[in-house]
Amino acid sequence: MRTLLDFLVKHSYVFLFILLEVLSLVLLFGFNDRQNEAFMTSANSMSGTLFEWRTDVGQYFSLKKENDALVEENVRLHNLLIEKTDSQTVRMMGTLSSDNVIAARVVDNSVRKDDNYITINKGRRDGISQGMGVYSAQGVVGVIMAAGRSYSIILPVLNGNTSISCKVKDHDSFGFLEWGGGDPYVAQIKDMPYHADIQAGDTIVTTGFSSVFPQDIPVGIVKDVEHARNGYTLRVNVNLAVDMSDLRWVYVHTRTADPEIEELYNLIND
Amino acid sequence: MEKGSFISRLFTLIGLVLLQVLFLNRINLFGYVTPLFYIWMIARFDSSMSRTSILLWAFFLGLSIDIFSGTPGLNAAAATLVAMFQPGIVKLFVPLDRHDVLLPCSASMGGRQFAGYLLLITALHHTVYFILLSIPLGDWTVLVLKVVFSTLLTFLFMLVAESVTGRSVPKH
Repeated sequence: MRTLLDFLVKHSYVFLFILLEVLSLVLLFGFNDRQNEAFMTSANSMSGTLFEWRTDVGQYFSLKKENDALVEENVRLHNLLIEKTDSQTVRMMGTLSSDNVIAARVVDNSVRKDDNYITINKGRRDGISQGMGVYSAQGVVGVIMAAGRSYSIILPVLNGNTSISCKVKDHDSFGFLEWGGGDPYVAQIKDMPYHADIQAGDTIVTTGFSSVFPQDIPVGIVKDVEHARNGYTLRVNVNLAVDMSDLRWVYVHTRTADPEIEELYNLIND
Repeated sequence: MEKGSFISRLFTLIGLVLLQVLFLNRINLFGYVTPLFYIWMIARFDSSMSRTSILLWAFFLGLSIDIFSGTPGLNAAAATLVAMFQPGIVKLFVPLDRHDVLLPCSASMGGRQFAGYLLLITALHHTVYFILLSIPLGDWTVLVLKVVFSTLLTFLFMLVAESVTGRSVPKH
């Protein structure tokens, strides 16, 4: 008995090792709950603060570039104001009013992985919740995946799990934009109907069907069109409007889906 | 443990975590290769430390990396495993009859032995890390590529670190 106890005490580190490994693996494979995602991802306030600090420092080196981008956007908005000819313009202005849009700064970003994520410095406290659409001055960025208290994670276009409903501008043919990894400047629409009249150079915009995004936010420009293997649909390669590797400010579209539409979707999914 | 060494270890941990999450995590060559240099701390644990404190330091090092990388448990699991085998791996590369306190470095172990030791520690850590990362295991070739090239890159960082610290630390 005595020797057994001695043995156990002498080798207590083995039990500690097993305990720590079990703890790690529980953390690794137990975090499937969406609610908990924000805690251990970079939406937790500790890493959010750290990454924001890095962005703060980094931003000094790109002030001129950022200024130029803001001036450019100002010019674009001025032009919209002056033109103000059709209903589309009015709607576009509507989406930019402060009621529907929250401006947020990108604090962490990646484009080179198989599944990329973006962290922004606004969270539940600012009125952001899961499922809201995110776009920049250039175009569509992604959808809010998890909202922490003061930071949120975006599921960007450059993630295998993202699917964004989009269409050819001034057309009715629509499909879903997906990304299969690789080139961070090109995404694909896989199920465009065969008869759709679509050519390289056409502009792709959001449909606004789900009201995650406002209508007609730019997605990208058609690069080329291939026939899908099944012979019934087209596979469209799209040059993305947004350079994901150079994102600084984004807008979160806070007007989420009509609760009634949402309810119907949930009914179907259940 | 002495208070001084606790505080200096704490600063090493904080420094390596910052270096890893602010800079090294952003390196992702060809979509495959990421250096995980933070295990330098585990490689440098000296032989006077108890097995328990080696395990605890490594676990909290890994967990700190996880908190900032959005990978709960991944680095903690890999780092703890390496820490479990670190004292044994040291013994593979030094003569059996040594009883003095040994701080693993090229001065105390010899350049070639130290390089071999670093390579083995790194390869073990990266193998565990990338296997856990790739579950469910799909493409074995990609996994092997990730392990091999990330190991080489981390090893390169370690050689740089050794050439920097090796000079400033007086020989034992």
